[in-house]
Amino acid sequence: MLEMLNRLYDVFMSTYEGFLQAVLITLEITAVAVILGTLFGIIFALMKISHSKVLQTIANLYITIIRGTPLIVQIMFLYFGITSIVVLSNFWAGAIALGVHNGAYIAEIFRGAIQGIDRGQREASLALGMNRTQAMRRIIFPQALRRAIPPLGNQFIITLKDSSLVYLIGVSELFGRANREAASNFMQFETFLVVGMYYLVLVLIFTWLLKLYENKLNVDES
Amino acid sequence: MIKTKNLHKSFGNLEVLKGIDIDINPGEVVVLVGVSGSGKSTLLRCLNFLEKAQEGDIIIDGRAIDRKKDDLSKVRAEVGMVFQHFNLFPHKTVLENIMEAPLIVKKEEKGKAKELGLSLLEKVGLSDKADVYPNKLSGGQKQRVAIARALAMEPKALLFDEPTSALDPELVGEVLQVMQDLADEGMTMVVVTHEMKFAKEVADRIIMLDEGCIIEDADPETFFNHSTNERTQQFLEMVNV
Repeated sequence: MLEMLNRLYDVFMSTYEGFLQAVLITLEITAVAVILGTLFGIIFALMKISHSKVLQTIANLYITIIRGTPLIVQIMFLYFGITSIVVLSNFWAGAIALGVHNGAYIAEIFRGAIQGIDRGQREASLALGMNRTQAMRRIIFPQALRRAIPPLGNQFIITLKDSSLVYLIGVSELFGRANREAASNFMQFETFLVVGMYYLVLVLIFTWLLKLYENKLNVDES
Repeated sequence: MIKTKNLHKSFGNLEVLKGIDIDINPGEVVVLVGVSGSGKSTLLRCLNFLEKAQEGDIIIDGRAIDRKKDDLSKVRAEVGMVFQHFNLFPHKTVLENIMEAPLIVKKEEKGKAKELGLSLLEKVGLSDKADVYPNKLSGGQKQRVAIARALAMEPKALLFDEPTSALDPELVGEVLQVMQDLADEGMTMVVVTHEMKFAKEVADRIIMLDEGCIIEDADPETFFNHSTNERTQQFLEMVNV
């Protein structure tokens, strides 16, 4: 047992410099994926609830395909697809793939949140002379956004963890880094245990920040 | 002011309005009554196009509105509406609720909208609530804010859809008082309500709907005391007047 703790300590001390750098890359790729995913999510959610059959169909197709195929396939497909057309770093190919993937889930989060807003809010907006766009932008969407924050936070945590998959296309983020370390120090068990703790700490910090933000929103409204 | 000609409205196979003709004059307070399901709320909602009637004309200020070609937002901006469940915007303060439409729809400048908002709050007796959020108000206060919000667009007429039905009994009076004040100032009002005392005292005219048709259109005195219509009498017995 003591020997085991010693080995863990050794692994931790010998990897933390590299791991901390890799944490930055993981956070960067997560941030890009979250921003892209939210953007796609809003656009496709609005398409899905629009009155246009064409837009609805496009949104449905996108959501069905993304939710119906493994993320790893999407990453590979987009990586080889995009990089065969344009010159793109592995980082950006991975971030875009994660963003596109997230967009489908976030679209469903937003659609649910928008449709969950009481019908009376829209009617009151229209009755005051607002057009549909104004009612959505000023009244419905801001309320839907607040309602969407808990599931969005959850989705962001999933993204943070899913970002580990882009190690397969050669991005040296946290998991990729750990993989390399394990291959050279031959202490796979200890190395992956350590990297697991890194992810856990990141998720806990993020959960805590989210909680703070939700509390602030609640205080604002009372 | 507001006129309908042969208005028909169906939900699927259910015909809710079967050819409604009404004519509301400027400054008039008209109360719509009838049992639930008679079509009174639907009629009211057709008047500002929250429901689209399938057939017939709606004429506002002498102009027949084309539901397909006209900008309905413009029409709605001139005919305010107060809802049973208030429908205040929960993410905005009381004052912001009132300022929203003048700012966004009329593109008024902020200072002016605020001034208007504060004066309307004073009018409905809620000056001290300007900066609180709606969830901190009682039902009666919410409805008074909703009335102020509708007034902020300076509408030519106001529609009330059962404005006191969701209120605790002790809060009904304060809302009716605000409505009565508006009536006294000469606001054109169409009110769907079960408050017969209000109808008796404030209305200029009472229109009774039954199964999608107008069966009585009379002044309160005639309606309550001299109606010969059997359905009207049944209704009056039911509401215990």
